[in-house]
Amino acid sequence: MVSTVLVANRGEIACRILRACSESGLSSIAIYADNDADSLFVELATKSVILEGESIAETYLNQKQIIKIAKQYGADAIHPGFGFLSERADFAQAVIDSGLKWIGPSPRAIKMMGDKMTARTTMKAAGVPVIPGEEIEQEDEHEALLAIKNASHRVGFPLLLKASSGGGGKGMRVVNSPDELEDAVNSARREAIAAFGDGRVYVERLLDGAKHVEIQILADQQGRIIHLGERECSVQRRHQKVFEEAPCPTMTEELRERMGRAAILAAQAVDYEGAGTVEFLLASNGEFFFLEMNTRIQVEHPVTEMITGVDIVREQLRIASGEPMSCKDLIIRGHSIEVRLYAEDASNNFLPAIGPLTVFSPPVGPGVRLDTGVRQGDQVTPNYDPMLAKLVVWAPSRKEALQRMRRALDDFIVLGTTTNIRFLRELCDQEDVVNGSTYTTLIDRVWPDGWQPTIPDSLIEGALMVAGISESSGMHRNSNAVIQSEDGPVSPFTTISRRFP
Amino acid sequence: MQHEFRLDGDTVEVTVARNGNDWHLSGNMASILPDGRIRLEMDNGRIYFAHSAKVGDTWWIHLAGHTFCIDCIEPGASEDANDGGLSAPMPGKVLQVLVKKGQSVEAGQALMILEAMKMEHRIVSSIEGIVSDIHFAEGDQVQQGVALLDIS
Repeated sequence: MVSTVLVANRGEIACRILRACSESGLSSIAIYADNDADSLFVELATKSVILEGESIAETYLNQKQIIKIAKQYGADAIHPGFGFLSERADFAQAVIDSGLKWIGPSPRAIKMMGDKMTARTTMKAAGVPVIPGEEIEQEDEHEALLAIKNASHRVGFPLLLKASSGGGGKGMRVVNSPDELEDAVNSARREAIAAFGDGRVYVERLLDGAKHVEIQILADQQGRIIHLGERECSVQRRHQKVFEEAPCPTMTEELRERMGRAAILAAQAVDYEGAGTVEFLLASNGEFFFLEMNTRIQVEHPVTEMITGVDIVREQLRIASGEPMSCKDLIIRGHSIEVRLYAEDASNNFLPAIGPLTVFSPPVGPGVRLDTGVRQGDQVTPNYDPMLAKLVVWAPSRKEALQRMRRALDDFIVLGTTTNIRFLRELCDQEDVVNGSTYTTLIDRVWPDGWQPTIPDSLIEGALMVAGISESSGMHRNSNAVIQSEDGPVSPFTTISRRFP
Repeated sequence: MQHEFRLDGDTVEVTVARNGNDWHLSGNMASILPDGRIRLEMDNGRIYFAHSAKVGDTWWIHLAGHTFCIDCIEPGASEDANDGGLSAPMPGKVLQVLVKKGQSVEAGQALMILEAMKMEHRIVSSIEGIVSDIHFAEGDQVQQGVALLDIS
């Protein structure tokens, strides 16, 4: 039994889990760093406890402190969310050793899937197809380079260099021909050492025209393992997903069946428990290859929820409690798309942005869902990930879902901080996105020299006019907090009404 | 009313004219709605509802799915020339009153100096006229949005 869940995370995913706890009738504990004291997720828990320390290592990554708080405040389970400690086998083990329930798979499963090489070997043994590729074990710079050169002949070009203990696109390089290899190896290793303290790289064939397709799975303690169909997440910038959908536009019943079976095999191979995702590359000829398994809830899980009606986070809680999962057979209904709203300058190589959310007004309407950890008035700081929200739509067909997404993005108003809203909106108009011919190389191919917004002249004129009127009328609506007096801002309209009775 | 803005590195001079509740710029018309949004009727017949918010010296504007950052080049008073009322752009202290009641002033003439956030802001007349009233004296604290003086 689980009755009180500590959520070892922050921001959007903490909000998602805390709300699920509330809807499941469970008590919840939020933990927060000092600079998150005013964040939304802190309000959503039954009990919120401040973490000592300042850096991320001292707070959200501080295993001892988190477990101590969990024990002290009577939690009986820990949900790690994604990122932070979610794929740390040592943390999962420490949680279990302290007598708490870990909401996720066993430390052994996390460990086996966390190491790319072990994961591949395990998958091969389970009969799941893997991409041609080799692990480079050599630590020495020159030996590693030689080994990579040799491996590249067997793997073939174009190839992808990946940090063995990597993630999030760090330490990743595309190499199109042998003469690019040496430079790419050196920079990938440098980046991998800086980011993960581990310079080992992995050499893998790069599949041209491949789609990134992943299967959501659920496994309960009763031994039932099911898949909830696929998500396609091919559209990525800097190896990070920005546009995700379910189902995959080119999926067939037969292929879903085969991929689903492979994903279940993967889960069985590591005695999986809870929610997990098996990622594949899907080649244009229908061949698919295992990429990796994410042993946690994923950012893009809502699109699966929208088309299956399954609340994946609530199923995680149910499974952790020892109950059988509540979902029946897979029924896919309609189409769902998610875009990730980032505080970033899409016209400047997606550089992260900071600032106040002076206006944060999300779209509403049927089939529109927003998962966010911020609200109007918050500050976007450089302390954490710049993802502001996930905007998710559902509609009966893909075409309608895409149109709903365009409408929703046009209605999404964020003022005070630069966001990628316009970039996402223009993405929805790209021919390949409209056709569903989305490949992992889409953004680089459509905008090889970077993206710039297309703005009609009449709108620029309109915007300048609005600025002129706003400035003239003194309607410094919601100006930043520092220029508000202690008595609060005076409405310029009181002045106006007094003068124009 | 004339303003200098900067948009994507270009300096733009924008002159909007006010007539009652309506504002005009070439063939475009606009009005401020009770919730602070601006209803824009372009000369091509298109109607938009714009949101604006000022952060520092930058106006953030959302219009038809696009977001614009427009910098004010001369940060200072927000002028309201039609009724000759000049309001405080931010809370602060009146450092100096440069005109007297009954004095005639030129457009562009400095009327008052405010100090706010350790910076001086000149309140400049946008029209030619006569100072009909001065609401604050040197040393007075003023709140954001209050009328400082009237010009008729």
